[in-house]
Amino acid sequence: MAQTNTQKTEKNREQLVSAASGEIIIEFVKVNKWYGDFHVLKDIDLDVHKGERIVVCGPSGSGKSTLIRCINNLEEHQSGSIVVDGITLNRNLKNIDHIRTEVGMVFQNFNLFPHLTIIENLTLGPIWTRKMPKVDANDLAMKYLERVKIPEQADKFPGQLSGGQQQRVAIARSLCMNPKIMLFDEPTSALDPEMIKEVLEVMIELADTGMTMIVVTHEMGFAETVADRVILMDQGQIVEENEPGEFFNNPQHERTKLFLSQIL
Amino acid sequence: MATIKTMKKNAVTAPLSEISVLGWIRKNLFSSVLNTLLTFVTVYIIYTTLKGVWSWGIVDAVWVAENRRECFAINVDGACWAGVIAWLDNIFYGRYPREELWRINLGIFFLFMWMVPLWLPRVKAKISIGMTTVFLYPFLGGYLFAGGEKGIFMQVMLTAAVVCLLVNTIHSIIGVFSGRSLPEFFASLSNKKNICEKTQRNIFFGFLAILFVLIYVWQMSWNVERVPWTKWGGLFLTLVIAGIGIASALPGGIVLALGRRSRMPVIRVFSTAFIELFRSVPIITVLFMATTMFPLFMPQGFVLNKLVQVIIAVCLFNAAYMAETVRGGLQTIPQGQFEGAHTIGLGYWQTMGLVVMPQALKHMIPNIVGNFITVLKDTTLVSIIGLFDVLGMLRSIGKDLPWLGLHIEPLVFGAILFFLICFTMSKYSRHLEAKLSTNHHN
Repeated sequence: MAQTNTQKTEKNREQLVSAASGEIIIEFVKVNKWYGDFHVLKDIDLDVHKGERIVVCGPSGSGKSTLIRCINNLEEHQSGSIVVDGITLNRNLKNIDHIRTEVGMVFQNFNLFPHLTIIENLTLGPIWTRKMPKVDANDLAMKYLERVKIPEQADKFPGQLSGGQQQRVAIARSLCMNPKIMLFDEPTSALDPEMIKEVLEVMIELADTGMTMIVVTHEMGFAETVADRVILMDQGQIVEENEPGEFFNNPQHERTKLFLSQIL
Repeated sequence: MATIKTMKKNAVTAPLSEISVLGWIRKNLFSSVLNTLLTFVTVYIIYTTLKGVWSWGIVDAVWVAENRRECFAINVDGACWAGVIAWLDNIFYGRYPREELWRINLGIFFLFMWMVPLWLPRVKAKISIGMTTVFLYPFLGGYLFAGGEKGIFMQVMLTAAVVCLLVNTIHSIIGVFSGRSLPEFFASLSNKKNICEKTQRNIFFGFLAILFVLIYVWQMSWNVERVPWTKWGGLFLTLVIAGIGIASALPGGIVLALGRRSRMPVIRVFSTAFIELFRSVPIITVLFMATTMFPLFMPQGFVLNKLVQVIIAVCLFNAAYMAETVRGGLQTIPQGQFEGAHTIGLGYWQTMGLVVMPQALKHMIPNIVGNFITVLKDTTLVSIIGLFDVLGMLRSIGKDLPWLGLHIEPLVFGAILFFLICFTMSKYSRHLEAKLSTNHHN
């Protein structure tokens, strides 16, 4: 087990090198956001390269969810600039709709559509936003359902599936849009412990395909094996940002040390 | 101390009180001395009431008589149903010319033909069948009921409605027997396999176009006599007003509710003002406004008939009410559903139409049907402003010379009539809820 871990880290390090040289796909410059009076994001600067896997962690209320929700404009930032895949996020709704088709997102509460079957959940996006013929969309959906290992559930409704299965469907639904970036907002937090593993496995497989991923999670094991970079947020700021080996074994900031001592 | 279960327990039959009728009676009606007493008292009250109604309405009732005096002569204690029976045609059709009644019957028959596919299994495209009912049937029904000269617009819409009715019917017959939609059926008629969706659609539209031309030519020869709206009445008139009110309330309500939640201030303010204005005024006032004030705002010489004014008033009033119901339904949809829809790139209208509305409407079915029932019952208020709807007709029986003073029986009959219609609607809504429910957790 330990050996596979070190192998993984070595592999990661290679990817980190290649990723660092890759083009920048998400760029935050001096981003600020307030909820009313509350300052949630303070001067965030962040570059994400193509193919990079970033894990964002931090105590609750630190702004980590808000950070990734800004990327597809589920939350609007008030100052600074966010550029995603060459497009600057502003009030232009067309740009936002375009970015949303390029950025997949997986939520803590799955947010599947309960009135549609699993296969309809998956094909809704391709049919209506990609204008794909229904037959092709069904093939695509089955392909991704097989990838998340639940093709046999295609005709059921979300309410009939377990949490872990629902989350895998949610991942497949995002993948059906063929996104360039995948965002995960605490994907395992609402799951029973028994089901966390099956979701993480799917995410690890996805990471191996070279997808750009930003993951907000408390699963430090996942961060250690998969991430190219780990970011710790606290009170709306990025406190420490490092590659996982350094981050876990040799944290620099006092806040990081405290955080790690509390969760490990 | 560790406990480990080794034996598996088998399920045992439930105690008698849970499964047998006797057990149920014992548990719920005679569980204590007080409850036993209450049960007997209640049974006695029910018995005396029902006995009175039974002997008045059935046993002592008079079914055949020439006038009320004759009724009294036969049996003073019983109901005089003969008067209601003599007026049945009036109650149902008002003063519509007797030789033209087939038009009303045919119109209602067409409406059923149009809507029956909605209830049949295996029929596809039910949404478009429902939409065409709302948007095209009024032209067919309107022409049948009103008749007279038809302008070019009316001719086109009438043709479209007839084409649609025909296609719907063929489509649903094929659907029930083969489980396929009409375009798919056409594709399967030709020898080529796997005709793509686009070709299917083209064949289908070609078929529609040919049918349209044929029927357009045919309908030019149709000629039914004009029946002015003043002759409309009875249950027929009630159903026309309520039907249009019901059919327009939901679309209108959805538009207003979305308007009220809109981010654009002008739309939001307008919708809110409209809804609040109509909701804070009784429908009687709205009806009076529509018939007396509305013509004052119109340009000189512009005359709308009273019926149209009343229908417009009913539509606006009910749209405002429905808007609040719809808004309530929209609020039951968690924010996550909007976000889920946004992340797969759906825009505002797609999110609303594909994700939010279908769920919200499902939650709202009891309220919506409740609204529909209210619309139907409120419609009887038009008798106050001088339209002879079913209530107006029922009340004129007692003013008719042979039946002078016959008030109770017609109103009881009216009550039964309304109960049947409204009860059917609410039963159907329960059925619909059960059918659309996808929240089965297992």
